[in-house]
Amino acid sequence: MVDTVPTAAAPEASLQLKAQKRRNLWLALALVAFVVTVGVTTAVRIQETDFSGGDRLYFSGYLDEAEKEQADREAVERYEAMRAEEAAQTQAAVTEPAEAAETPESGDE
Amino acid sequence: MSVEMTAEPSTPKLATAGDYVELLKPRIMMLVVFTALAGLVAAVGVTGQAINPVLASVAILAVALGSGAAGAINMWYDADIDAVMTRTSTRPVPSGAVPKDEALTMGLIMSAVSVLLMWIASNVLAAGLLALSIAYYGWFYTMVLKRRTAQNIVIGGAAGAFPPVIGWAAVTGNTPLDAWILFAIIFFWTPPHFWALSLVAHKEYEKAGVPMLPVTNGAKATRDQILIYTLLLAPIGLAPLLTGLGGWVYGAVGVVLTLGFIFFAAKVWRSEAGEADAGDAERKLAMGMFAFSIFYLFGLFAALIIERGFGLYFPLGGL
Repeated sequence: MVDTVPTAAAPEASLQLKAQKRRNLWLALALVAFVVTVGVTTAVRIQETDFSGGDRLYFSGYLDEAEKEQADREAVERYEAMRAEEAAQTQAAVTEPAEAAETPESGDE
Repeated sequence: MSVEMTAEPSTPKLATAGDYVELLKPRIMMLVVFTALAGLVAAVGVTGQAINPVLASVAILAVALGSGAAGAINMWYDADIDAVMTRTSTRPVPSGAVPKDEALTMGLIMSAVSVLLMWIASNVLAAGLLALSIAYYGWFYTMVLKRRTAQNIVIGGAAGAFPPVIGWAAVTGNTPLDAWILFAIIFFWTPPHFWALSLVAHKEYEKAGVPMLPVTNGAKATRDQILIYTLLLAPIGLAPLLTGLGGWVYGAVGVVLTLGFIFFAAKVWRSEAGEADAGDAERKLAMGMFAFSIFYLFGLFAALIIERGFGLYFPLGGL
């Protein structure tokens, strides 16, 4: 193993090496930035995606308009069913205490 | 550790970070990013669909990277003609600061990264449109059109017109009429914008063998075409008022800028700009039109961002 640095070309070679090191550093930083960007983006997408509703993480753009309309209809139906169920539960919660109040305890008679 | 060094006399200049930035054509990138942002903001304002700010930022970053990638590929391929023209001879590749193959590698890697990021941040349609626009500029315009036809700027103008459509698609996953109106504005704006510059730089293009309109058809035909395309652009620039995309702010800004653009085009048409005996006044007039055209496009898209992004949209009526 020999360190060969021709004296005449030494300043220029030294500058070249410095420039190369600087480029390598920028490349490394760019790579880290890319990894972080992909990681953060994926995390945000996972948080925002409703997997139970048929969303696809990296393919949420609908190329087919009919497919999009169908998906929208299904989403609205799911939402309405959920609201109806919530309303029924609320109604039941309100009705049960009222009925309980109207029906006197047998021991009171 | 061993260090083996030999002199590299073939490398005339050491590349700086600035050379790599210049390789990405930052001025074009700024306009591309701005118009993509306008498309994105308009899509949110018009459709009411929300996009997470992080995802929106990554989508805009992807557009910027895609623009830079196309610029690097263009500089790689055009290094020979850039070296001939004074205006472009100091660019990183012809000046020897960045090796040709390095410019190409950088362009290709950045293309892949930008499309991937767009897909991850938004949807496959926006990513596909971004890939198409990079290929359109980097391959179709640069390698096919530019050296073959005087219509290079007209057909190639589509490459720069994609960003607002990409921005829109990133939000909604589709591209309605309003997005294509923004496309059409940039498409019809590109010829008068570049031909104004080529009236001044036509000798350079001639020297490099690039068939720009003033080189192939003369200055008079170019001035005629500048006026024709400006008159075509005028109603298209105001079309957002018809669909309801633009409101009072866009209308006011659009009318003033459109009249200004027509005024400049008419003055250039009546002048001797681009002729062999043209003086400094004609040169200044052509460059004035070139500068105003940038202001025009910036103004229209800024009005759209202000209206749709800052809640200042007051409808004029619409269809």
